[in-house]
Amino acid sequence: MQIVFIFLAALAALLPVTAAAASPQRIVSIGLCTDQLLLLLADREQIASLSVWAADPDMSYMIDSVGDIPLNNASVEEVIAYRPDLVIASQFAAWNSARFLRRLGYEVRQIPPVKSIDDIYDLLARVGAWIGHPGRAERIIGEMQQKLDQIERRYRDRPRKTVLVYSPNGFTVGADTLENDIFTHAGYRNLAAEMGIEGFRPIALETLLAADPDVLQIDRDLSRPDSLATAYVGHPVLDRFSAQREQLDIPTRLRICGGPMITEAIEAMARRR
Amino acid sequence: MIAARIKSPVIYAALLPLLLIVFLLALNVGPVEISLGKAWRDWIGSQTTIETLILFDLRLPRALLALTIGATLGLAGAALQGLLRNPLAEPGIIGVSNGAAFGAVVVFYYGLSGLAWFMLPLGGLLGAVIAVAVIFLLVGKSRSTITLILAGIAINAIGGAMIALALNFAASPYAMQEIVFWLLGSVANRSVNDLYIALPFMVVGWAMMLYCGRFLNALTLGEETAGSMGFDVSRMRLILIIGVTASVGAAVSVAGNIGFIGLVVPHLLRPFVAYEPRRLLPASGVAGAILLLVADIAVQSMSETRELKLGVITSLVGAPFFLFLILKSRNTLQ
Repeated sequence: MQIVFIFLAALAALLPVTAAAASPQRIVSIGLCTDQLLLLLADREQIASLSVWAADPDMSYMIDSVGDIPLNNASVEEVIAYRPDLVIASQFAAWNSARFLRRLGYEVRQIPPVKSIDDIYDLLARVGAWIGHPGRAERIIGEMQQKLDQIERRYRDRPRKTVLVYSPNGFTVGADTLENDIFTHAGYRNLAAEMGIEGFRPIALETLLAADPDVLQIDRDLSRPDSLATAYVGHPVLDRFSAQREQLDIPTRLRICGGPMITEAIEAMARRR
Repeated sequence: MIAARIKSPVIYAALLPLLLIVFLLALNVGPVEISLGKAWRDWIGSQTTIETLILFDLRLPRALLALTIGATLGLAGAALQGLLRNPLAEPGIIGVSNGAAFGAVVVFYYGLSGLAWFMLPLGGLLGAVIAVAVIFLLVGKSRSTITLILAGIAINAIGGAMIALALNFAASPYAMQEIVFWLLGSVANRSVNDLYIALPFMVVGWAMMLYCGRFLNALTLGEETAGSMGFDVSRMRLILIIGVTASVGAAVSVAGNIGFIGLVVPHLLRPFVAYEPRRLLPASGVAGAILLLVADIAVQSMSETRELKLGVITSLVGAPFFLFLILKSRNTLQ
């Protein structure tokens, strides 16, 4: 009996070593951003399941690549059924599922929130290493840098414009966010950041109007089902205000997650300057 | 009882200028300092500037909503207290507001509000009607205050649970957080559209309630006496109830459940109108408007971005008043 136990313990001690040596083959993602990183970096055979968000046309940039990969709702039961050797998640999405899975002994890796383009490069490299495709990550990073240089050169002479974001529940985007870095790269000055707003904070409509930005970006594409939160972005004063100004309408799927699609958002914005 | 001898013109001479002052003050309050004079001049010159947008698209609709909803709640409180001949009747306390909020929530979150402009206030009205029907079932002809309060507790609890249930299954990812709005009320970030859809119902409701003034006077002598004085009691009662539910339903459907205005206002005014229900009605309307405007100014002055809900302020003032009324009428409760 004791011998069996010792044998099992020895086997268990060996397991992580072998697991680390070989790249994971049954990866489950339980969040939108990790879904897209997997589709980008992993072999299809490595992906056991993606979250339902991956197939949401408003949110996901990569719905065409999802194909017949099974989707999950990030519940622990579903995830276990795939017998994953790696679960990846965002730090804040489905965090209680992630914690539970970790307690059950599954390998769970969480990606930190991305707050700049440089963070995206780090993230791609890190996930590429996790799943055994560091070369692929390097290539994508290189392409992104090249694209951003191109954009910078092409639109360098155009004037810089001021911008403000208005989202459901009256939130705006301040400094220390990916969106802010996107604006900077696209040649805009984010007035919320200049007001001293950090991260995502509510802004009074009056304050927004008084700041008088050249360009207003109203996040409407999340706003289909009626709610009070989306009534904020539907306020008639915004239409009257933006009738005299430009509106920036960059689809959410291009800028919600860290990844190469960000360069598309930046180019679309720079072109509008 | 010196106050009882004061004629109503005197009370309006005090209330109407006060309403004007508070209304102008409300137009002046906001996170951004603007010159109302410049906004007015730009508007006259039919220019669209930041000032005109802030004054006419943001502050004016908000102040008008606070005014009309306050008037509705004051009037409805006075009407219900007269009808039920009970000093503790109030749309919030007896559950009419929660009923209205439930009706509005179903219409708003389940895509029915897009069908026609009147769907939202109509939903509020229907919810309020159901709540009133249950009140009459539970209270019946009893004038016992305890029965009324207990019925109110029950209807409020059911209404709150139904609101939560409806929000839980709503398609919008934001729905569940918004329960605070429906239970505590707010006129923040509402627009002129909200005023357009609620105002017709509120005005019709006011007219119906005011029409019942003489009936309420007669009712103080009892139903039989009111009947013998030539009033068709059940018809008048129906008119009054439709008036209350139409106006409260519309008010709640755009601003949530704002409590206690309808309780406090009639009590404060009763001595000044010689305890006459008919004269209490319009005075309560004006005073309700003043009170809600003041509450909204307070809400805006306290914090800029994370605004306090209106119902928090009115409850902080109203709930102790409610307690005071219960203690005062303790002997009659037995």
